[in-house]
Amino acid sequence: MNYGAADTVVAWIVSLFSGFLLPILLIGTIRKVKARLQNRVGPPIFQALFDLVKLFRKKQTVSSTVSWIFKWNGAINLSVMLLLALSVPWLCYKPVSLGADLFFVLYLLALSRFSTVLAAMDAGSAFGAFGASREVTISTLVEPALVLALASIGILTQSSDLDAIFSFSNAALSNTSGIWLLVGTAVILAGLVELSRMPVDDPTTHLELTMVHEAMILECSGPNLAMLECSQLLRMAILFGLSAQCFLHSIPCVWTMTIVSQGIIHVILMFVIASCVATFESVAVKLQWRKVPEFIAYCLTMSLIAGLIAVGGSLVK
Amino acid sequence: MKVDSVEISVDARANKLRALLNDDGGRLGLITSIDGQQLVTLVLNTTAGTASAWTSRVDGDTYHSLSTVIPQSHWYERTVWDLFGLKPKSHPRLKHNLLHEPYSASVIPLRTGAIAPGGDNHRQYHHLEVKGDGVYEIPVGPIHAGIIEPGHFRFSCLGEIILNLEIRLGYVHRGIEKRLTEVSWRKARFIAESAASDSGAAYALAHAVAIESIFGVEPSLRADYLRSLTLEIERVAMHIADLGGIAGDIGFLAIASSMARLRGDALALGELLTGSRFQRFFVCPGGVVHDPSPKSLLQIRTRAIKLRKDLVSVIDMFLSNQVACDRMQRVGRVSNKLAADFGLVGVAGRASGIKYDARMHFHHGAYLELNPKVAWTEQGDVFARVRVRIDELARSLELIDEILERLPSGSSLLDFPDRLPSNQIGVGIVEAHRGELIHLVFTNAEGHVSRYAIKDPSVNNWTALAIAVRNNLVADFPLCNKSFSLSYSGHDL
Repeated sequence: MNYGAADTVVAWIVSLFSGFLLPILLIGTIRKVKARLQNRVGPPIFQALFDLVKLFRKKQTVSSTVSWIFKWNGAINLSVMLLLALSVPWLCYKPVSLGADLFFVLYLLALSRFSTVLAAMDAGSAFGAFGASREVTISTLVEPALVLALASIGILTQSSDLDAIFSFSNAALSNTSGIWLLVGTAVILAGLVELSRMPVDDPTTHLELTMVHEAMILECSGPNLAMLECSQLLRMAILFGLSAQCFLHSIPCVWTMTIVSQGIIHVILMFVIASCVATFESVAVKLQWRKVPEFIAYCLTMSLIAGLIAVGGSLVK
Repeated sequence: MKVDSVEISVDARANKLRALLNDDGGRLGLITSIDGQQLVTLVLNTTAGTASAWTSRVDGDTYHSLSTVIPQSHWYERTVWDLFGLKPKSHPRLKHNLLHEPYSASVIPLRTGAIAPGGDNHRQYHHLEVKGDGVYEIPVGPIHAGIIEPGHFRFSCLGEIILNLEIRLGYVHRGIEKRLTEVSWRKARFIAESAASDSGAAYALAHAVAIESIFGVEPSLRADYLRSLTLEIERVAMHIADLGGIAGDIGFLAIASSMARLRGDALALGELLTGSRFQRFFVCPGGVVHDPSPKSLLQIRTRAIKLRKDLVSVIDMFLSNQVACDRMQRVGRVSNKLAADFGLVGVAGRASGIKYDARMHFHHGAYLELNPKVAWTEQGDVFARVRVRIDELARSLELIDEILERLPSGSSLLDFPDRLPSNQIGVGIVEAHRGELIHLVFTNAEGHVSRYAIKDPSVNNWTALAIAVRNNLVADFPLCNKSFSLSYSGHDL
């Protein structure tokens, strides 16, 4: 993509603005929709931002037994997520091209999780340890699904670079709505698991014994917790963004539009996804731990189908 | 209800009690002492609707434990050890219930007369150690993340499976039983009804029935009907709250928030009747404090009908969600045998096939006349407890309608003399929303209350929770816990 200097400045401003604002607005939307569905007024849409500001201003309590792993966990997570936010094409416009190989992206996601898991065990509490063990179990299951989903479009575009995959440059792909829909759904299902949301984990629960992600960060406080929350919000925006990209690509007429209209439709799609997730979370029931693999299996099946279609399609060619 | 007093030797209790429990309709009410010189075993005959108190003199500080033959007595024996210093020999797991390590061993709060020198040693407490490869412990509480009462749970786990759960209570022990012997009986009702605030109406009623049985007087029929009304309103409100809590624990937020709203509607019925959403200061010995106006009674009736309609749609949505039902099935099962052995009461007992509802057997309120049907099932899992609650909710709302339909006229309050009759035993047995609640009162020669013993339904059912979660997933504990809906303050007193 080649833009002029003015375009680059605009792209920078828009990206920074949306990178900062979208994660907050997305979680705000989810909470608001959930609240409205339960006949509650719900928190203000910017509540996540207020919470982050509050946490950053708070003093940190650190157990005397923890090592540097625990103390640096927030910073590591946030830097990984910022790097991802810059390199992954989760929005339609991107100021820099760092290159976003899909394996590089997936293993950056894994790196942040690895760091959180180590930090959880570092604190030495029973909750942290079983939260970590559950997180690792879930992520081993969901990782293949996510890899396979993104790889299946990679097969079609003959590239593992996400920038190339989502560039709208390969017009031959504009008629493959089926794959894009499958991949988009697989990414959002894997995203629910990855983001520790229902039906695998309940982000609103106060019951330590049932937690997965929250159990791992129980010991964190102050700026450390704020950075973890930030990176969790970014992770959500990136995954919703990727999935919205897939849905966007599944609409043939979008391919010929200008980048501004694509961007606007894309952001609308992200909020539609957020509202769907919120609706689902209001009426869904958290799965029993033994049933979690079944849910991930749905997602894996979708990725497999997409992968098979892609392989079949490229063989025919 | 009059209580027969029977003298029996300590060691003869085991055989007699076992024979009684094997009989149809025999139940162990509670085991306690008056001043540490004797053991009192309250046994109930549900067929005849009578109770008798077996008094057994204890020489010295020890006696043979019943727990090995009658498992349900294990918790009472631990409490008696704490409060009276009577130590049961060969008790399988003798631990302190109410008084924790900071208390010295010589502190024996309810014992009068000769106190054995206990020394200044502090009390000891050891958790059950589960050994083996990969077994680890999770300590939870006594301070919890939600706004709930304090209790300590020690899980011994293998991976995600609970091998053993040890429950430790007593963090909110306030000495209510002792305080109830110190104040005049006219003031006692305020303490009795605030002992466990979510069962205020039931506690006030059990207290009133116990005091009335000491005076040997029964309240007017109108008072009985009004008492049933307040108890049913409390049951409706608490069952709704518990169902909402269970829905919340499985993450079914739509149901949880609907139930929270409907619970408010149910509490509003209580406010219309008594002027207090938690139905305080209404039931008193002799009847009820004030007679509600016909206008508010009419309003209660129409609102109860509306509540019933609103509930139907929410419950339909709850039960028609297959994932939700599946989530609750086969989790936290208590078998019928264990439920009988440990004397489970209330919803927990009836979900495991124990067809016992104190409303059917013992005089309190107008139940013997209204004759409500018992809701029960045999599966014994979380879903069974949910279904029993749902059935009881429907029946309680019907009952409210029936009470208001048949409400007799007349006075609703009798007056009693200031002095209680001497050397009497009074008992109040009430089906609270958690199950059988017993207040047992002894008066001495001067007409003062010498011992006031309370048995909250949770005393029976806390053990059931420990049994139910065995071999279940760690992550299922909160759901099991909520399905039993146990009271900490009711146990600790």
